[in-house]
Amino acid sequence: MSYVELEHTADVKLRVEADTLEDLFSEAVRALMVTMYGTALPGACTVRVEVHAGDLVGLVHDLLSEALFLSEVNEVVFASACLTIEEGAVYGILQGEPFDPARHRGGSEVKGITYSGMKIRKEDDKYILDIILDV
Amino acid sequence: MLAGIKKVGPFEWEVPQGFVPNMRVPGRFFLSDALMETLEEGAVQQLANVATMPGIVKNSLAMPDIHWGYGFPIGGVAAFDREEGVISPGGVGFDINCGVRLLSTPLRAEEITNRRELIERLFHAVPTGVGAKSSIRLSSKELEGMLLKGSAWAVENGYGNAKDIIRCEEQGQMKSADPSAVSDKARQRGMPQSGTLGSGNHFLEVQEVREIYNASAAERMGLSTGQVCIMIHCGSRGLGHQVCTDHLKVLEGATKRYKISLPDRQLACAPLDSPEGRAYFGAMAAAANYAWANRQVIMHMTRGVLSSLYGIGEDEMPLVYDVAHNVAKFEEHRVDGTLKQLCVHRKGATRAFGPGSHDIPPEFADIGQPVIIPGSMGTSSYLLNGTSRAMERTFGSTCHGSGRVMSRSKAKKALSGQEVKKALENEGIIVRAPSVGAIVDEAPEVYKPSGEVVRVVHEVGISRLIARLEPMGVIKG
Repeated sequence: MSYVELEHTADVKLRVEADTLEDLFSEAVRALMVTMYGTALPGACTVRVEVHAGDLVGLVHDLLSEALFLSEVNEVVFASACLTIEEGAVYGILQGEPFDPARHRGGSEVKGITYSGMKIRKEDDKYILDIILDV
Repeated sequence: MLAGIKKVGPFEWEVPQGFVPNMRVPGRFFLSDALMETLEEGAVQQLANVATMPGIVKNSLAMPDIHWGYGFPIGGVAAFDREEGVISPGGVGFDINCGVRLLSTPLRAEEITNRRELIERLFHAVPTGVGAKSSIRLSSKELEGMLLKGSAWAVENGYGNAKDIIRCEEQGQMKSADPSAVSDKARQRGMPQSGTLGSGNHFLEVQEVREIYNASAAERMGLSTGQVCIMIHCGSRGLGHQVCTDHLKVLEGATKRYKISLPDRQLACAPLDSPEGRAYFGAMAAAANYAWANRQVIMHMTRGVLSSLYGIGEDEMPLVYDVAHNVAKFEEHRVDGTLKQLCVHRKGATRAFGPGSHDIPPEFADIGQPVIIPGSMGTSSYLLNGTSRAMERTFGSTCHGSGRVMSRSKAKKALSGQEVKKALENEGIIVRAPSVGAIVDEAPEVYKPSGEVVRVVHEVGISRLIARLEPMGVIKG
């Protein structure tokens, strides 16, 4: 799994790829964190997460919105997520390291996860997600 | 040029109905030929998308800083009929009441011989950047006060004086705020962040008034050539972002429930007079109040630094004005000769009420509302006034800034933070930021020339130039 930053004039547009939906969601969380903090490395902190939405795009949107919230209030930079995806719900554990102002000031504050241009598609056995973050 | 759009005036373009399916009104935007090169198709598409929303009045509008955003374009303005119209967080954005204020000082630019020390002191006084925490420990009762009363809460708690309040749009307080519609999650985020600048394009800049275009208006606003001013640009922080996220989810459900068909999920909306619409409006107004209180607290910290460095009193540093860039408000406007109550959404646009309008400080009633347009780091900022033409043409609105032309990823490849910093220092502009990345993101090269954007609104007459300010030093979030 991996992600790249695509061209977007005002905000940050990301394309995330993975073999499974679970990995796609996990990598999207890491991509969000790297955007915010400049780096996101594995660590011992864990935080439970659960969101509900009517479709896959809604689920990934709400998962990322929740990860942003949980990162800020728990002061943890998540590097991965161990998730279960069911119809209408995603739940599991977000994992990462404690926020350290000395090491986590290389990114840009994300204000929100937008629905504009958000897409999930499957190509050659890979899941691909496009997201635009408001920074 | 984009197919389908047509020029209808020297600086005015129309996006006809049919540009996207189901447009209820045409789109209109203001742009010079020079700025036409920077126009993105995505932004025009978004302008047209807004025109499909129920109850939209006259036109979906965009100012000359139009660019591709999410939901509405940045620079977008749309007014909705009180009975038939909708309210949408996509027309306000995540950073509710992101705005700007201009503080004047009695200092002359040549008196600032310790420019680096001044910037360093401001950088330490005002928390900036990702994860920055406020030195203010708010209780939940105090947070409630901020949400209800905005600037007035700050003044009552010792941050500034009563004169500051009348120099704010809405007098720094939307009275329709409903804190009960602000979630615990939003409160959790807002509690440790009052009086913090944030990051991205937010800044605090020391400026010099370099040129005056309208001497009598400038004098009335207390400005003269060579004077030092401070510009503060920030918003409602995590609290406002969470209010948008929370209510977007509710309004998504409402969009389906009220059978509203939309071309972009980010435009999720509800009728103005629906429980969901009212709840978002009340929460948004509370977040707007938080932002006004936040800018008031930051201004107070700034005055503290200037007082201790230069021995000047708070009463010698009056606020010139404070405007919101991202907000939806009920306003009365004349539509085809009839006064109507409308909900005006401004997303990256500034209110620019003309002379004699409601909600202008009495001392500026005959000039029009002060309009503050920040430049990018290292480029000119402008003070203008609102006009009766803006009342006729744009629901009393004008541009809000320069608008980006280069993405962050391109900026990172093309520029180095150290080089940008050095180039600015060679021009005498001191930059202080938590990281060099933050400097590259907002380098002067990534924005449209602010002078050209302002020239368009001046020529169109939707606001008129009073003064130009140039940066001396800036702290970046």
